[in-house]
Amino acid sequence: MEILVLNGIVNGLIVGGIYALIGMSLTLLYGVLRIVNFAHGEFVIGGSFLAYALFSNLGLAPLFSLPVAALSFFAMGWGAYYLLLPRLQKSDDPEIMSFLMMYGVSIALAAVMLLIFEADSRSIDYSFTPISMKVGPIYVSTARIVAFGIVIVLAAALTWFLFRTLPGKALRATIMNPEAIKIVGVDVVKLSAFAFALASAIAGVTGVLVALVFPAFNPFSGAEYSIIGFIVVVLGGLGNPLGALLAGILYGLAEQLATVFLPQAMAPIVGFGILVAVILIRPTGLMGWRAQR
Amino acid sequence: MPPESSGAGRSIERASADRIYYTLAAVIGGTVGIYFLVVPVLDLNIAFHFYLMLWITMASAFNVAAGFSGYMPFGFVAFYGVGAFTTAILVKSLGFPVLLALPFSGVAGVILGLLFAPTLRLSGIYFAIVSLALAGICRLVISNMPDHITGGSFGLQLGSRAEPVHSFYVMMAVMLLALGTILWLSRSRLGKALRAVRDDAEAADMMGVNVTRVRLYGWLIAAFFPAVCGGVEAWYTNVVDTETAFNTLTTAKTVIYAVAGGLGTVTGPIVGSVVMVWLDELIWRQFPLLNLLILGVATVMLVLFLPRGIVGTILRRRPEWRRYIP
Repeated sequence: MEILVLNGIVNGLIVGGIYALIGMSLTLLYGVLRIVNFAHGEFVIGGSFLAYALFSNLGLAPLFSLPVAALSFFAMGWGAYYLLLPRLQKSDDPEIMSFLMMYGVSIALAAVMLLIFEADSRSIDYSFTPISMKVGPIYVSTARIVAFGIVIVLAAALTWFLFRTLPGKALRATIMNPEAIKIVGVDVVKLSAFAFALASAIAGVTGVLVALVFPAFNPFSGAEYSIIGFIVVVLGGLGNPLGALLAGILYGLAEQLATVFLPQAMAPIVGFGILVAVILIRPTGLMGWRAQR
Repeated sequence: MPPESSGAGRSIERASADRIYYTLAAVIGGTVGIYFLVVPVLDLNIAFHFYLMLWITMASAFNVAAGFSGYMPFGFVAFYGVGAFTTAILVKSLGFPVLLALPFSGVAGVILGLLFAPTLRLSGIYFAIVSLALAGICRLVISNMPDHITGGSFGLQLGSRAEPVHSFYVMMAVMLLALGTILWLSRSRLGKALRAVRDDAEAADMMGVNVTRVRLYGWLIAAFFPAVCGGVEAWYTNVVDTETAFNTLTTAKTVIYAVAGGLGTVTGPIVGSVVMVWLDELIWRQFPLLNLLILGVATVMLVLFLPRGIVGTILRRRPEWRRYIP
């Protein structure tokens, strides 16, 4: 039993790290652009399929797909911003309409992946040597440990960027007070495009890690990640990147420990239950930093 | 309106506007009714028209939540799925006649609506996300129930009870009931109160509207019809399984059709469903593989270029028609 619980905790941290990255990028998007990105899960799975395609066609190891995913998704995000957003901002209720629009984007992206890769579940047939490592009394696959290392580096880099550099501070300032930042003379359109591109890039990179950590993915698994992303974002407080980081790890732990004590299929119910409870009881999120918005 | 018009003049004018309104509603309703009535008689495509009526009903019910009350239930499929399973289980396990089981589907929808009622104090995006999560919970709970009740992953067969023409006419009755309800709602006190609460809950509260109760009534109307639709569809196809009964695409189509027509009007969801279902059928026949992609792209285009929908855009151009068009 202790071994199982320990296993749950270690896997919870690893999976939670992935969820934290999804949540951080999603919350950044919401905070800066007031966009609820329903298609975020599809962005993530798009990254997984990119790694899959690169590996099966060019034999490129998943680790080398990371920069490719980051750059290509950054460019795509930049383009998508200018294609979709300026017109959306003109509608009566941009926030709820963004949800609907990204719903459409998510259906379209899933359909594109379905056309290219078909409906079968895919996995990258790549393994590190050694296949697994001993962490204390339990074995963890090397791929998961490597992915966790990358998650830590990325989360740290993102936090440093948001809190220590000028563009990062501008992003946070936009989240807190979008009117004031315009008065100070920041080009909000450019900044928003950058935020969209950055969030897409993180999603793409997360997708590569998803391919390493989770056994398989298919064109329709995106919706699951979107919903997990929402849970994490709401838990951490909308528009709060650090909150999302913590909430992601907490959620991963809760989900993995739930699989230890409950039947496998019940784990998502726990997740949905947490989401509903938090929104109803404490809509500002676990940290309740309203001032951060 | 001329400045000298007195209270009496205004009420005469309102009466004539009402007359045009109800005449138009009756003409539209009559045409739609007669058209669907003759579909099986003339041996037209029953499946196409059955689903057209289903989507009109779903989109109209969604309109009560989204257009009249200002909530965006992105987990709308929960009501549909629970309704489908209620009918299927009652017919299969308890031997109910289908026609007797269908009202219970509606009741199940209302009960589910009552269970979800606490979420009505949320607004905007929070409500949408919670609704989505609740639909997920419903799907998981039903798919984790014992196989002898819900049929597991194979689904439930209703037995040899498929009667396409009968279920077609029942669907038609449900659609007319839904449209009648919404027509009544749009001119009733409740409908006006709902719109007032949607636009400014605090002001409505000050004017003596019972905000909680009004929202609940609107919500329950929106919950009832999709549940009945689920039941009728289960009867029509004779099989229910969790994957199709709780398919997110059902919500997606409902939302898209309602928005395409225009939220907040009676005719909007009808026009939207007719246009979009017809387009969908056309695309499906020409490019079966691209269907999903085109649905997605159409949604994006709709939000970007026609956010108020077909009827909504017309009414925006001609605000004076608002009084006559249901």
